[in-house]
Amino acid sequence: MSMIEFKHVEKYYPNKFHALKDINLTIDKGEVVTIIGPSGSGKSTLLRTINGLESISQGQLLVNNMDLADKHTDINRLRKDVGMVFQHFNLYANKSVMDNITLGPRLVLKTSREEAEAEAHELLKTVGLADKADSYPSMLSGGQKQRIAIARSLAMHPKAILFDEPTSALDPETIGDVLAVMQQIATQGMTMVVVTHEMGFARHVGDRIVFMADGQILEDSRDVNGFFDNPQEPRAKEFISKIINH
Amino acid sequence: MFSVLFDNWGTLISGLGYTVWCSILALIGSCVIGTVFALMEISAHKVVRIIGRVYVEVVRNIPLLVITMFFYVVIPKYVVAIDGFTAGTIGLTIYTSAFIAETVRAGIESVPVGQMEGARSNGLTYLQAMTHIIFPQAIKIIIPPLGNQFINLIKNSSVLAFVSGFDLMYQGKLVASANLQTFDTYLAVGLLYLVITMPLSYFMRYLEKRWQTA
Repeated sequence: MSMIEFKHVEKYYPNKFHALKDINLTIDKGEVVTIIGPSGSGKSTLLRTINGLESISQGQLLVNNMDLADKHTDINRLRKDVGMVFQHFNLYANKSVMDNITLGPRLVLKTSREEAEAEAHELLKTVGLADKADSYPSMLSGGQKQRIAIARSLAMHPKAILFDEPTSALDPETIGDVLAVMQQIATQGMTMVVVTHEMGFARHVGDRIVFMADGQILEDSRDVNGFFDNPQEPRAKEFISKIINH
Repeated sequence: MFSVLFDNWGTLISGLGYTVWCSILALIGSCVIGTVFALMEISAHKVVRIIGRVYVEVVRNIPLLVITMFFYVVIPKYVVAIDGFTAGTIGLTIYTSAFIAETVRAGIESVPVGQMEGARSNGLTYLQAMTHIIFPQAIKIIIPPLGNQFINLIKNSSVLAFVSGFDLMYQGKLVASANLQTFDTYLAVGLLYLVITMPLSYFMRYLEKRWQTA
């Protein structure tokens, strides 16, 4: 069963930059897909089209059976089902950790405050930050912020979560905690699309790897170890050798 | 000066009343209209954006007196009969709304774009994201310049004097031309303006402090 389906998707930015070129990609429910590639290759753009933060110029994109090229698609309904975790967290600066997590459920899912807060406490335990409910984002470290951001997205009971370089802005020693939480979510069967430079995560947690360069998907493999040990495309070979041998 | 104030107490206080009334109406009106045009200026739709931009640029680049005269002369002649007070208040509202639109727009744009993206990805509608996330953060940045706009608005309400709006300036002019004590009369008028603007000024500072810590 497919969750996300790109068919000949093209994306041009207003300055005519061709960001995505003939993207064809079908992601099944429960799959953990990591997208890697050099910067400027279109990874983040691809990810952001999945929940409509970026529009597509041509082709078809179906997410949770909703057509994103169709102007009549209710984008808010789609986003309710597709969570997103950002490189720079994007926690609500004016809200406490508790309100960050409960605002979406209360406003969008119409969950009662009591119910939303009870669940938020559970989620905070899951991400190992049970004592931070009353803190504000500015009081937290990067790794803590990112785990709160993951909890915020889980609170919406999404069918899929998109991760846009979730560890790239973190101090090295806090990356492990965030990856551990992501791994835990992955084992619970969540559909995940992860743009990352964490090759360990891609190799050990991902079910599938997509390599992008210059707006194109150059490799798409369910044999993740095979890809890392023996990439087929010259661009992929070059990329892998650069990150492994340094 | 005090004799002028006491001899013409009733007249000047009635003028003060009109000034306060005009300022309150214009303040509310210009905040509502200004916010609407600020939202238009940052709209995703190009046409809406252009309309907002054109309104702000045209209105803020025409002298207040010219806008007021337009409502005082043109509207009664071709549309509907309005008195000087109404024309002046409308003129002041329109004029100030352009500056408030710019203040509000700048405040909203100072909130990092990630806040909106985070909120929208969290399932919130544009309106929910604005009211719960963007506006509460923008208001801290908007308050100090907004205070300036409010004080300017009160002082600019003296434009009513030119369209027979019965405000403080208008009454002051009447008093001065009757008693010929120009200096003392305008000193009294200035003092009465301070009575409104100074407390407002302090109130805005208080708000500024309160919002910074909130």
